[in-house]
Amino acid sequence: MDGDQGGLTIERVTAPPPAAPRGRRIDPSRYARLALLAPTLAITLVCFVVPLALIALYSFGSVNQVDFNVFFGWTTGNYRAFTSSLYLHTLARSVVLSVSTTLACAVIGFTFAYFISRQSPRAQRLLLVAVIVPFWTSFIVRTYSWVDLLQNLGPIDRFARALGLHGHIDILYTQYSIGIGILYSYLPLMILPIYVSLERIDPALFDAAEDLGATPWRQFRRVVLPMAVPGLIAGVIIVGVPALGEYVIPEVLGGGKTLMAGNILADQFLQTGNYPFGSALAVSIMVVLMVLLFLLRRAQPAADPQ
Amino acid sequence: MNTEGFPATEPLTRGTLLRRAGAGALGVSAASLLAACGGSGSGSSSAASGAIKGQAILSNYPGWIGKHNLADFAKKYPGASIKMTSNATSSSAEVVLQFKSKQYDFLLADTSDAGQASAANLITQLDWSKIPNAKNVSEKFRKAYPWGLPTDYGKVGIAYRPDLIGNATITSWHDLWELIPRYSGQTIFINLERDCMGSTCKYLGFSSNTTDPDELKKVQDAVVGVKPHLKAFLNTDVGAGLVNGSTAMAMDWDYDVALLQQKNDKIKWVLPDEGVHAYLEGFTAVQSTSKIAVIQAFLNFLAEPPQYADFVNTTGTAYVMPASTPLILKSISKNPILVPTDEVLAKTEFDKYLGADGATLWSNTWTAIKAA
Repeated sequence: MDGDQGGLTIERVTAPPPAAPRGRRIDPSRYARLALLAPTLAITLVCFVVPLALIALYSFGSVNQVDFNVFFGWTTGNYRAFTSSLYLHTLARSVVLSVSTTLACAVIGFTFAYFISRQSPRAQRLLLVAVIVPFWTSFIVRTYSWVDLLQNLGPIDRFARALGLHGHIDILYTQYSIGIGILYSYLPLMILPIYVSLERIDPALFDAAEDLGATPWRQFRRVVLPMAVPGLIAGVIIVGVPALGEYVIPEVLGGGKTLMAGNILADQFLQTGNYPFGSALAVSIMVVLMVLLFLLRRAQPAADPQ
Repeated sequence: MNTEGFPATEPLTRGTLLRRAGAGALGVSAASLLAACGGSGSGSSSAASGAIKGQAILSNYPGWIGKHNLADFAKKYPGASIKMTSNATSSSAEVVLQFKSKQYDFLLADTSDAGQASAANLITQLDWSKIPNAKNVSEKFRKAYPWGLPTDYGKVGIAYRPDLIGNATITSWHDLWELIPRYSGQTIFINLERDCMGSTCKYLGFSSNTTDPDELKKVQDAVVGVKPHLKAFLNTDVGAGLVNGSTAMAMDWDYDVALLQQKNDKIKWVLPDEGVHAYLEGFTAVQSTSKIAVIQAFLNFLAEPPQYADFVNTTGTAYVMPASTPLILKSISKNPILVPTDEVLAKTEFDKYLGADGATLWSNTWTAIKAA
């Protein structure tokens, strides 16, 4: 196909038609592709498919509570047990806490990522290192450090007392301390993908928007925000999914008073030894997550300018 | 070996060990401990000891053994040894699974766990004629722990700071339940179902091993009723807040309070009038072991008063062998918290295995309490 664009003639060079097949020939590159794919397929199979299949299999089993032998009688009793108000209430609490902390992460993470993206390259590098540095410390240590920070007579409480605010800062072992813990632990995972989206925005777009009379707020709303949506959605998934199943932070910062879905699940494996029920809980939480992700996925094309 | 021979260091605590276990459960890899420490010998090998050969593997809390026990045993029984691995857990399921795993020859297990393992036929009956020193252990504890050699026990009582609760005096679980709402947010409960619910059973006048659904419902209601006023349910550092005054009252273990009192003498300890719930632990041989001769030799060795005193002085636990008293550190043997009177012991009820249905009922009740 030829075309004339602005006086220039562009001639598309087309490849010659393939030679007619002579008998059945096997493309050797196909084997090479399969060989290259094999390690990835094997890892996916062993590390993801098989464990998930085992969990699904176990979820229909039952356990002898004396010797903890598991029997596969294909019962749906574990799923029926999960529908009791006790567990549904806990799951609902987990969803609410997960969603609220993810939203808080998104707001704070977006603000910080936007701030970073507007700095000089050198400042951007420094700020990104500052975001990543906490990951160099153990997650457990970081979580326990909040116990010291938030506890009665801890630094925050002492500061509050100095300001005459005692009685308002005693939040250790509450849902607030769990929320703070999740927010703190997962914030970098929100900042990084949003930053990647924002950093890719061509500065010429801002000039164009300004030339067209857009106010800074309108530029943000019509240019920045839509183009950051892919990163925002990636951040929401990366933060929201593990936050829903989080059990370390509620265990350490919740003081055993706020039971989350992740805690019930972990207890079935680590304390009660009821692997089938634990597996049913895991599958159920996975289904809830898949529904949430599906809804998020459906929302994405409408918001994504690309 | 005498009491002066021990360094004046703070003994290990079960809380420290559980804390390490908790860290392991949360993702910190707990290093296996090969506890082969040097020390003075306890005697030359005999002809009988020459027949004992092989290495038995013990699953135990990290460091929950006398500083010299393992080395002294290896000296007395050349060719025999104990390899100790640390697998601290408060989970009955994990302990029973360890009994099944065939990775260990004997384990530290409490009465509830050992009872369950016994019900599942996972325990080897010991030949007590090969463990004559077991007679040194109080009969009360031997009867309560028939599966192996009882080693230590602990009671759940109340620790509190009178100065933080208007100098009120607590003598009973009833007093504690009355004070919790008045001093809201200043009480810690233990985060283990048997200890927390067992103590609540005592408060309500029930056996701490009850499997009556109605009684357990009342237990649930009693804990849930005060839950909004509790600071937290903890299984490590339960009484730590009492030292700096950030909490005023705690349902706590005796060994924990004995240590806390060394840091703050305002902390008081109460064995409530209604009675107390307690755990009793011991070493029990697994059914699949092929090292029963080594295990029995070791248990007999550990039941010698000097060796058992080494165990107690290292761990700082309440002890089950009165014959060792002269060799035990005075800070332990003279501590009324760790060495209660017979009258107090008479009010003590040890954990028992509750049966499959009972254990499930307790577990469900505990989940309901935590979820409320």
